[in-house]
Amino acid sequence: MTSLTPAQIRVIVATDCGSTTTKAILIQYLDGQYRQTHRGEAPTTVEEPVADVTVGVVNALTELGELAGRRLIDDAGQIIRPATADAGCDIYISTSSAGGGLQMMVCGVVREMTGASAKRAALGAGAIVMEVLAANDRRRPHEQIQRIRELRPDMILISGGTDGGNLNQVVQIAELVAPAKPQPRFGGGYKMPVIFAGNRDAAPLVQQVFDDSVDLAIVDNLRPVLERENLGPARDKIHDLFLDHVMAHAPGYDKLIAWTDAPIMPTPGAVGNILETIARRQKINVVGVDIGGATTDAFSVFDGKFNRTVSANLGMSYSISNVCAEATLPSILRWVHFDMNERALRNRVKNKMVRPTTIPQTEEALVFEQAVAREALRLAYVQHREFATALKGVQQQRSVGDAFRQTAGGQCLIDNMRLDLLVASGGVLSHAPRMQQTAAMLIDAFEPEGVTTLAKDSIFMMPHLGVLAEVHPQAALEVFEKDCLVYLGTCIAAKGRGKPGRECFQYAVHTETGTITGAISCGEMRVVPLLPDARARLDLHPARGFDLGAGPGKPLECEVRGGTVGLIFDGRGRPLELPADHAACQALTSRWVAALDLYGGRATAAPAAS
Amino acid sequence: MSSANGVCRTLLGAAVWLAGAVALAAGPAPPAELHVVDHPNDAGTALDLRWQLSPDDQPDVTPRKVLRYDILRQAAAPGAPVPANGPAFQVIGEATYGAAKFTDPNCVRGTAYWYQVVAVAPGGGRSLAAASTAPAVPVMQLFDATRLWFGLLLGVVCLLILACIARARSGRPMHMRRIAGLEAVDEAVGRATEMGRTCLFVPGVQDINDMMTVAGLTVLARVAQTAAEYDSRVEVPTSRSLVMTAARETMQAAYAAAGRPEAYREDSVYYLTDEQFGYAAGVTGQMVRERPAACFYFGAFYAESLYLAETGNLIGAIQIAGTAESSQLPFFVAACDYTLIGEEFFAASAYLSGEPQQLGTLLGQDLGKLLGAALIVAGSVLATLGQLGPDGGSAAAGLRYLMNSILGSG
Repeated sequence: MTSLTPAQIRVIVATDCGSTTTKAILIQYLDGQYRQTHRGEAPTTVEEPVADVTVGVVNALTELGELAGRRLIDDAGQIIRPATADAGCDIYISTSSAGGGLQMMVCGVVREMTGASAKRAALGAGAIVMEVLAANDRRRPHEQIQRIRELRPDMILISGGTDGGNLNQVVQIAELVAPAKPQPRFGGGYKMPVIFAGNRDAAPLVQQVFDDSVDLAIVDNLRPVLERENLGPARDKIHDLFLDHVMAHAPGYDKLIAWTDAPIMPTPGAVGNILETIARRQKINVVGVDIGGATTDAFSVFDGKFNRTVSANLGMSYSISNVCAEATLPSILRWVHFDMNERALRNRVKNKMVRPTTIPQTEEALVFEQAVAREALRLAYVQHREFATALKGVQQQRSVGDAFRQTAGGQCLIDNMRLDLLVASGGVLSHAPRMQQTAAMLIDAFEPEGVTTLAKDSIFMMPHLGVLAEVHPQAALEVFEKDCLVYLGTCIAAKGRGKPGRECFQYAVHTETGTITGAISCGEMRVVPLLPDARARLDLHPARGFDLGAGPGKPLECEVRGGTVGLIFDGRGRPLELPADHAACQALTSRWVAALDLYGGRATAAPAAS
Repeated sequence: MSSANGVCRTLLGAAVWLAGAVALAAGPAPPAELHVVDHPNDAGTALDLRWQLSPDDQPDVTPRKVLRYDILRQAAAPGAPVPANGPAFQVIGEATYGAAKFTDPNCVRGTAYWYQVVAVAPGGGRSLAAASTAPAVPVMQLFDATRLWFGLLLGVVCLLILACIARARSGRPMHMRRIAGLEAVDEAVGRATEMGRTCLFVPGVQDINDMMTVAGLTVLARVAQTAAEYDSRVEVPTSRSLVMTAARETMQAAYAAAGRPEAYREDSVYYLTDEQFGYAAGVTGQMVRERPAACFYFGAFYAESLYLAETGNLIGAIQIAGTAESSQLPFFVAACDYTLIGEEFFAASAYLSGEPQQLGTLLGQDLGKLLGAALIVAGSVLATLGQLGPDGGSAAAGLRYLMNSILGSG
């Protein structure tokens, strides 16, 4: 750990050790503010023949140093600290998702209550949850034991019961886990870490159940009462055990842990951390997504409540076949504005799966890949909404006025109308040739309502900033705002449905240079350019039955920021529905493609694939 | 001389009075043209009589010369000729002055009847009888034409239900509004499981012959099955012995359906007392002592509803109630987390089972109610329009037709 105060920290080096690439960034204090100045990367070296993660880190830092003109690695292969005028850094921090990240199994008494809380704690800590075991999961004990034996988690989290509540079933869960003797991924000398975060009265009994073959840690109940979650202690313990056990057994990580000035965080946990910090500091609601080759991570912070989900089978390369199977090809093709040969598309999907690093070489391939991405993101968001709910099992307070307005507990926390910032990350979004394409994918998949700012992570810097936020929140926020996010613009979308051609809403954009007015019809999309650093005041007048955030038919005034795309007015209505007829659908998407200028002015071209 | 004149005047007066009395005793002029026809749209038990009023039955003559009309009837033996003025005519009813019709509701189907109508003066004088010229026989009609509209509407509703069932069976998705109270059963039982406490199910204070009790037991099956899956405990205090037996059967079946028949405990369903407030006191006492985490009130409730619900609220339980007793609903709504209101309660069975037949029936019934609501709206519009014109015009006529023909006889 560094002994420097935040004010003394001027040069920061951060790495993210991914499965294939180790990405390094340099953050410097320049002209009174922290800025990300350079970036370098090198292949990750956690696998054989090198089998030492620090080699990849040194390579990435060497490249970073060369680009920045600052020597970061000394002759002994160590990071130079503290910083001088032209060498070294003040702190070095890192995240890691190499080797599949942190894989966990969680247990609870009731799947939807303590089971869900345990899952939230694990996901929030950046883990992939392989299995949720619960007393009500309709499996027989022998089936549950069989399942535990099949899995090879890095860690197990056991919860269940409120404090002073259920005792028997909590101990029964421990009695299922103990004899199953779950085998860790890292073999031999690895002691399986088990965290107990359930009914405190059950802790002594659970302790008796486990022998020395596991490393049992007991922390505060993550659901002391049903009305409140207390995920912090369990999450912190997961981080500790991640370092002590999982990382310590990965090749070279013991050295890397010694190098870092802050605990290494799992990459998704760090992304969640920075989004949570931003949402809390700016008092906004944020949704973030990171679409990868095998999985898609979705993050949300609504009213201060953080949620993260990992859609393990939704991705753009290894999981692309699963996306096509779940979404179905017709659903994907509704986003494509010209005819495509279905057989050729199937071949394209399988090719992408077996050759995951290939990127589209033709416009047709690009359009198709972005159509798949829309559906993958949509499905991941659906899963996220199902998980990001209010706590279940909580007593409701009613009055007679609620007679006809009774809603069930566990309502979804996500409200697209109250969403302020939508952040995109991941290859297909970050590396889209045109910014309009990223914006269009986000709007089509997430269907933001009202006024929503769209942004993308420029160089996948959020993990670095997430761990930096633990050490130096101010630096993390400044870099996040200025360098991390590329603002695409603001989406203004009306909620409601109307006949095509009917007026949806009127707008007036007041900028320093003048005022632009216009009206959007139902089914229409329009872009009004507004530079990235510019801000504008909007006067919006929705037609009857349409809502832009102030209520159906009520006018709205707000300030919006520009972006590389500008202001995107979306009159397609919400929920977004495309015509079932293929030709009509193509005609409509062609209009949207033209309106957003997605593919360089060619809206309906592209020949059918042979 | 003067005494002779006085005697003459007295004698003359007496003669006039006597003449009048004789005239009254002789009776008024008789009614005429008595027609007897079968009463329409009945089971052959009535005949309708119509006649012409007696010429002396004038509304502007005082004192009245006709006080009433006596209706006389004689049943004819099957096949035997009956004289028009036979001795067996008996008075079976009367009509007031000015009335020229009468319905005899006490006939036997297939029997021939002769009728006479006699006008009766205030002094008791009777006119000659107006007699029917032919025997009348009451006949049964297979269809009551006045209920044609009712039959039509019933047929439409039945067809709608059948169509909805067919649609449900065909596998087409059926949208059913989510009933939060039933959705919350899992949540409530889950709460009890996490807190290590029991669930309390109160099936009301009525016996098993009450529909609300039966509907409550349907919900009990769901609660018990969920509790069996969660390995939680359900307590069911009852106020009727038959309800206790039925609840035990329901619970046992639910535990078996959940695959945990061994977890069923018969003594979790028990009898307290038939006394309404004794029962309420027993249940609330148990609630305070054992502090169940989930309380369910499904059945017929009266004044004890608020005692139960308030006690449950006090102990911090999730409470779900369902009753069709409209007077108790406000208490349940205010004190419970979720309340099933009236029809929702009876729809619970279809909602919980998800069977196409039940869902189709539910949808068909709803469409029938929609039809009823449409008629109410139409009536309201016609009544409003009828008030606008001086005589109501066609709107008033339409309203009359709606009330008398479509709704009135239904």
